[in-house]
Amino acid sequence: MRRFGRQCRGQDQVFVSLVRQTETQLLAPGQPVVGLARAAQECVQDAAHLTEDQQGRLATQLTGALAAHHQIVTQSRRLTTGKTLPQGKIVNAYDPTIAPICKGKSNCPSQFGRKPGIIAEPATGVIFALHLPVGNPSDPSYVVPLVDKVQQALGQVASRPTPAIHSLAGDLALNDSKVRETLHGRGILTVGIPQTVEPLTPAPTREAIRRMLHEAGLHRKRTPHQVQLACAAGYSRPVVESIIASLLCRGAARITYKGHRGAIVQIGMAVMAHNGATVRRILQDRLSKRAQKFRRLLRLKRHNVNEFKASKN
Amino acid sequence: MRLLRHLQHWLTGQGLSIAVADFVPEPHPVRQWADTFPWAALVAAVDRSFAQRFPTSRARGRAAVSTRVLLALELLKQELHCSDEQICSQLRTDLAVMYACGIREVQVDRSQGHFVLPEVLAQFRSRIDAALMDELLALQAAAAMDTGLVSPAHLVVDTFPSEQGSPRVNDAATLYKAKKKSSRSSPTSPTSALPRARR
Repeated sequence: MRRFGRQCRGQDQVFVSLVRQTETQLLAPGQPVVGLARAAQECVQDAAHLTEDQQGRLATQLTGALAAHHQIVTQSRRLTTGKTLPQGKIVNAYDPTIAPICKGKSNCPSQFGRKPGIIAEPATGVIFALHLPVGNPSDPSYVVPLVDKVQQALGQVASRPTPAIHSLAGDLALNDSKVRETLHGRGILTVGIPQTVEPLTPAPTREAIRRMLHEAGLHRKRTPHQVQLACAAGYSRPVVESIIASLLCRGAARITYKGHRGAIVQIGMAVMAHNGATVRRILQDRLSKRAQKFRRLLRLKRHNVNEFKASKN
Repeated sequence: MRLLRHLQHWLTGQGLSIAVADFVPEPHPVRQWADTFPWAALVAAVDRSFAQRFPTSRARGRAAVSTRVLLALELLKQELHCSDEQICSQLRTDLAVMYACGIREVQVDRSQGHFVLPEVLAQFRSRIDAALMDELLALQAAAAMDTGLVSPAHLVVDTFPSEQGSPRVNDAATLYKAKKKSSRSSPTSPTSALPRARR
């Protein structure tokens, strides 16, 4: 069906009558399935040789399959009559957690899958947390769960003083006033990655810094130096893309494990593998000039290359 | 005996002993990558989670494959872009993979087919849930912060699409194949041996 849809769209015009005819043909064999499934449910309830657990499991699976069938029929009829269905679209009968991920890219069809969110350090690319919700919720809904997860990780840091989040950068999709207010309430500055045609200056003027602090209401919590660092960290879009590219080449581009839990495991393992490779790069001092400068400003530990050679010899 | 031979999954060789750490050079990428993980904390978290969610009342049967090995294999699978079978096969022959899995010494035994079966890896994976995955990520991030290598002061958030694909061999097929293979190798085995075989 998916291939069929692509063929129809690829000819500069949508063959509406062909789509409607095909939909009817495809739905017709499914009509007796509902009756058969209900009969099967009754049989399962009466089956004495099955344990209660088995009966419960089979009944749940049958109910799920019936609900998926009903939803497919409803959405097909709705879509082929020209009515839009922005939310709750089912694209895979066996996994209702898969959703169409529309990212506004005109050069490729919408992907059917999931939309993981990451929170990372932009200088080196270490990912602190991953959030993978069911379906395709709006981007701002990712921010607070991700920040919560980072703060949980901070709670496990033994060294003192405990590090804290000073600022958070995100693109225009994350530009939501409620999210900004929540973050400001937690003492976190918000920096928006702008569109590439008008990049944010990595070194803002004093006026701009004062304005940002005033807007966030963080005069006493954050210093102008921290604002400068936040702008330097969040001004560049390609930095984020490089982290995502690293994840994609570690198997996050195509989820092969089944279900939502499988997707979490696969992407989680890819993130951990990526973090291992990133820490290795830091230890070997194989970092970009920008990352090295940023680490100096943050006074982060630099690996002593001479010490490493001495121990090796 | 054939069943045991088929299910042999751990280091039982009787030949020459090889110190894996001496064999894998220090600048080897897999060795350096493996040394960055806080293995003790990660393994403890996995064991704690499994003990809570899948308690075992009796300690019967063959000793389980170490959590350290299975967790490292799962991570190596993503890092080296391998399938379950490929990574399990590499564990048998590649000393760098053995080092990454925490194996410090191995007994040479040419007749031994494998150390870990792909179905054991699939079973291990099926027990990992979202909460455990979050905990593992938090432990790794906390370890990096503890050593002063990274700072969470300035962060960036973004999302990306991940397409759902279908694996060539999925976990269900791997487990089904394992059942078929074990039943073929022991047609007259007693029924009491089956739970052990699955383990």
